Amino acid sequence: MMNSKQGQLEISFNWIYIMIAGVVILLFFTGIIVRQKVASEQQLSTDVVRIMESIFTAAGVSEKTKNSIDTSGITDYTLTFTCENGVGEYGVKDGSRVQNAIEPVFAPLELQSSRLSLWSLPYKLPFKVIDFLFITSENTKYFLLGNDQFITEFLNETAADDKIRFHINTQHLSTLDDMAVGNNFQIRVVDFSAAITDGRAVPSAVKDMDDDRVTAVVFTTDNVDYYQKQGMVWKKLNRAPIPIISVGGERDAAKYAAIFAGNDQIYQCNMQKAFYRLKLLNEVYGGAAINTGQVGGKLQEIISYYEHHPDIASRRPDCLGHIQVYPQNMVSTLASHQNKVAACLLQPSFCVDLISSAAQLKELNENLRVDCITLY
Amino acid sequence: MVTKISRKGQVQLSETIAVLFIFFVLIVFGIIFYYKYQQVAIKQQSEELLAARAMDTTLRILFLPELFCSQGDAEPEDNCIDVLKLRQVNETIQKHLEDYYFDLFSYSTVTVAQLYPVPRTFVVYDKLKLEYTKRESTYFVVSVRDDTLGSYGYGYVKVEVYS
Repeated sequence: MMNSKQGQLEISFNWIYIMIAGVVILLFFTGIIVRQKVASEQQLSTDVVRIMESIFTAAGVSEKTKNSIDTSGITDYTLTFTCENGVGEYGVKDGSRVQNAIEPVFAPLELQSSRLSLWSLPYKLPFKVIDFLFITSENTKYFLLGNDQFITEFLNETAADDKIRFHINTQHLSTLDDMAVGNNFQIRVVDFSAAITDGRAVPSAVKDMDDDRVTAVVFTTDNVDYYQKQGMVWKKLNRAPIPIISVGGERDAAKYAAIFAGNDQIYQCNMQKAFYRLKLLNEVYGGAAINTGQVGGKLQEIISYYEHHPDIASRRPDCLGHIQVYPQNMVSTLASHQNKVAACLLQPSFCVDLISSAAQLKELNENLRVDCITLY
Repeated sequence: MVTKISRKGQVQLSETIAVLFIFFVLIVFGIIFYYKYQQVAIKQQSEELLAARAMDTTLRILFLPELFCSQGDAEPEDNCIDVLKLRQVNETIQKHLEDYYFDLFSYSTVTVAQLYPVPRTFVVYDKLKLEYTKRESTYFVVSVRDDTLGSYGYGYVKVEVYS
């Protein structure tokens, strides 16, 4: 009787022991699996950002490159792009992100797609300052509204390239009522006809879409305005019109950037990066004290060359003339350009003044091209 | 009878301890193996990152507006460095090293060596990392344009990155 009770106790104890040990072992391995899952997700997110950074660097430094990236492995992740106080940030939503204070990246606020299209264009004011990188996805649709000549240029420039699978989803519309949204992640209306105004009703085709998935950029003479759907109407995002700072011409990077930028803040923040780089380039061309009219940099090299070669300088008097003698000369114009950059960096509303000095520098450089050493 | 049960229990306890010992030894072996594997993987990854950074820096230098040969509004010349800018660029880069160019080139040394017509070397950027563990160098052949001579020379860009 006594033995039997002891046997019962022993069997119960063994089972309890096995149960506890089993639970502990299971918890141990479950813990390892959970930690590994979190770590691998973090690793994937970091890898994605690192690869993005590398691809963006390559695409951003070389002029007019078009690329596409297969992102089918991360279609469940949302890529985000922001820019504040001159520092851009991009990465995986709720995951790794990387900051970039140098390269201007113009992209929608969020992208979720199996393929990204990347395109870079040089920004010139009047000499090349930096390459603008535009990022978009196949499921971001751009509706172009109006009859501006730029629309034809935009459609030609963004035509699909099957070899590299570069594709920007565009459609030219006569009126907003012709819009068909389809299965796109987001839409951007690019309006050259001033059809979109603050408080005006959004087209019926986009009424069911989330507000932050429907945006518009409206081009007026030399300015842009950004809009976003708010309920059933358009809501203007920027208070004052945003000027397009460029010397014009084909492939106007500042104009293209306005189309690809997620909103007014991203556009202006990235433009500020370009203006800061312009300040540094002005120093390379005109020296650190060019803002005071004291010449240095490449311009001083050119002046020294003509001063040490009076025979050449006398045969080509226009060279030094255009550089520092004539009323409108390179030294004074570059000094003015540098002062305007400084003002622009302090107060963005002054940036519009850069257009006139850039145009003057361009004209002077064209004059030098005839028979002299050019600035750029 | 009591003694017999006690011995059986002792044997069972020893067995359990032996099994647990082997189990934990295996786990410790597994952890050590995994740790060593991770160490090698991290080292390999950091080497890959350094090589990628060297390539990125070289790419940036070759397309740097502060250096390349511009041609007015036309596209700049490929793999060409303007010697008039090259002589001046170090001053601007040194002045704005902390606030701008470090973000672009990080810990690295960039030199342009002209081989023809006049052999000379220009240090474009220099930010050495103290007590670096590894250095990766890349070289790229470039043409060097001198507008005052109206001719081209050649040389190479050397980019050294440190980790």
